Amino acid sequence: MSERIVVDPLTRIEGHLRVEAEIENGKIKDAFSSGTMVRGIETIVRDRDPRDVWVFVGRVCGVCTSIHSLCSVRAVENAFNIVIPPNAQMVRNIMEAVLYMHDHVVHFYQLHALDWVDVVSALKADPAEASALAQKLSPWPKSSVGYFTAQKDRLTKFVGSGQLGIFANGYWGHPAYKLTPEQNLIATAHYLEALEWQKEVVKVHAVFGGKNPHPNYLVGGMPCAIDLNEANAVNTERLALVKQKLQEAKTFIDQVYIPDLLMIANVYKDEWTKIGGGVSNYLSYGDFPMFEYGATDSYKIPRGIVLNRDLTKVHPVDANSSEEIKEYIYHSWYTYTQGNKAGLHPYEGETNLNYTGPRPPYTHLNVEDKYSWIKTPRWKEEPMEVGPLARMIVAYAAGKEPQKSLIDNTLKQLDLPPEALFSTIGRTAARGLESKLAADWALEFYEQLIKNLENGDSRMVNHYMWEKETWPKHAQGVGLAEAPRGALAHFIVIEDKKVKNYQMVVPTTWNASPRDEKGILSAYESSLIGTPVHDPKQPLEILRTIHSFDPCLACAVHLYDEQGSHVHQIKIDN
Amino acid sequence: MDKTLILGVGNLLLKDEGVGIHVIQALEKETLPDNVSLMDGGTGGLHLLSWIQDYDRIIMVDATLDQNPPGTIRQLRPRYASDFPPLMSAHEIGLRDMIEAMILTGKLPDIQLIVISAADINEVGMELTPAVEAAVPEVIEMIKASC
Repeated sequence: MSERIVVDPLTRIEGHLRVEAEIENGKIKDAFSSGTMVRGIETIVRDRDPRDVWVFVGRVCGVCTSIHSLCSVRAVENAFNIVIPPNAQMVRNIMEAVLYMHDHVVHFYQLHALDWVDVVSALKADPAEASALAQKLSPWPKSSVGYFTAQKDRLTKFVGSGQLGIFANGYWGHPAYKLTPEQNLIATAHYLEALEWQKEVVKVHAVFGGKNPHPNYLVGGMPCAIDLNEANAVNTERLALVKQKLQEAKTFIDQVYIPDLLMIANVYKDEWTKIGGGVSNYLSYGDFPMFEYGATDSYKIPRGIVLNRDLTKVHPVDANSSEEIKEYIYHSWYTYTQGNKAGLHPYEGETNLNYTGPRPPYTHLNVEDKYSWIKTPRWKEEPMEVGPLARMIVAYAAGKEPQKSLIDNTLKQLDLPPEALFSTIGRTAARGLESKLAADWALEFYEQLIKNLENGDSRMVNHYMWEKETWPKHAQGVGLAEAPRGALAHFIVIEDKKVKNYQMVVPTTWNASPRDEKGILSAYESSLIGTPVHDPKQPLEILRTIHSFDPCLACAVHLYDEQGSHVHQIKIDN
Repeated sequence: MDKTLILGVGNLLLKDEGVGIHVIQALEKETLPDNVSLMDGGTGGLHLLSWIQDYDRIIMVDATLDQNPPGTIRQLRPRYASDFPPLMSAHEIGLRDMIEAMILTGKLPDIQLIVISAADINEVGMELTPAVEAAVPEVIEMIKASC
């Protein structure tokens, strides 16, 4: 007998996501992911000055705040062949590494950990035992009996106040929670530490970007004057603050995040490294150039595609090619002038909304027809997973260091084979390992920046092609970035000095999209197939796997009425 | 003197949803006491924690979607996250979560909330609808009077 369950809204994510799953004999047989992401950004930026677009696209999301701006300036630089100075490259890299650390840590503790950690169980922990265990796992100094006693008291008071707040949506007491009360206390205490920690690291964005959230960017470089000895510039004192924040971030990741991740992975590995894998293709655009953006060989994160989980081969990807990346709308609420089955490269992208779904409130989506606001992107008609796991797998297959050694060592520590990567735990672990790399790289970028400055190079912007008079009548470009959640591409078409078309293919589009015309599932849907669900009324297992992707549908807007039901969708005037 | 932050939040790209940011932009042209700072919080979520916990008092300005006519201005003093009106959860990680996080981390500034009822937040666009735009000067006066 099969039963259709609906998780809507799926909580602890950015934005609004609905998942419907068909359960048969206690396992998920089919799954449908429906997102309310509607991209209307092109209507806002059309006819504007291409140099201003980063300001607008930076506003689509408060979480990935800087990465859309970065991707936008890269698109314009690509259209005009602008190479930015080395200092600007390092500053962009530092800011992006900070975004990775912030995003990944907040995702792990504030959004994902509670799928594995039972907060209510932590209240039963013995602080002395928690302290002994914590000291065995990590040299992190905050691990005394007194510390864990105080944290337990704080939690008890918070939960006892009846305002469960942040912890309100957990399935506490669910039998799939396997950690001991002491392990739960350690992880919950670190949940609170992470809240404090995240406040500090984002200050780096304010130093270089002038403000945070939504820091400033600039086509051709970065808008921050840098001079070691100038009071009104980013000077020695500001740079010392940056270094301090980067070092503190690294300490937290090495001594808190990674040990917690390994502790949790060890407990859940038998089951959760065997499920949640989903699609078997992985895409990374690559990022963190050490030289100019065009020098893809210098990227810390390599570019490429792994097909069919074949770790012996990395395929090239060209986002500019009209034959590779295409978006389909067969199951999405749009129309294309070329018909329902057409696939369009983003340069030719169209956004004609056509909602044909049921009138809310409804019980089930009509999954035979269109059922999502998210388009379905494909690379040469193949579905791709994007995100930290995809980046790690592409790097692993490419033999890239330090990724390969880090993955091998972690697998050895957990006594797992490489195939364990293709799973829910693999995805969650990849994000942690990547945070560790981002922490190391951020300091490397910092040292490189200081070296340049000490050598007398203080250039932060390249004025080439800044003046409109120098632009050709027609230009187009693509900006690529590896956002924390995965491969991000902005496509710009410039005509008569103005934006003619602008399309964004965001990471969650790849992962959360509906199936294609051939019925081939995208990453979320595919990852749920075969997952056991202990209690359909408390589908904790679905949350574990979907959260492992770090869904971000914030580019969508979702509004609730007083009763909490979903009442509004965005409309776009074309 | 109490350090006060006027914090506008919202999404500038969604018409009335961005009214909090429009208010901050208008306040930039006004003369305010030295203990008052302005912040364009955008859709900041947890990013905002690092700044707002440095203040004794926060005046937060945001749009809300309720049954009141567009442009209606209401002042609230939320004590718990659950006191926030419904729309507040629309900004990414959620202001409710942020308030909870401040309670959990032990420092909750005095928060005064000014909400403006929105007419249109379902369309992409940079401008406010007339009723909401007309409310902005009154919000400015209200803020200046309480600074």
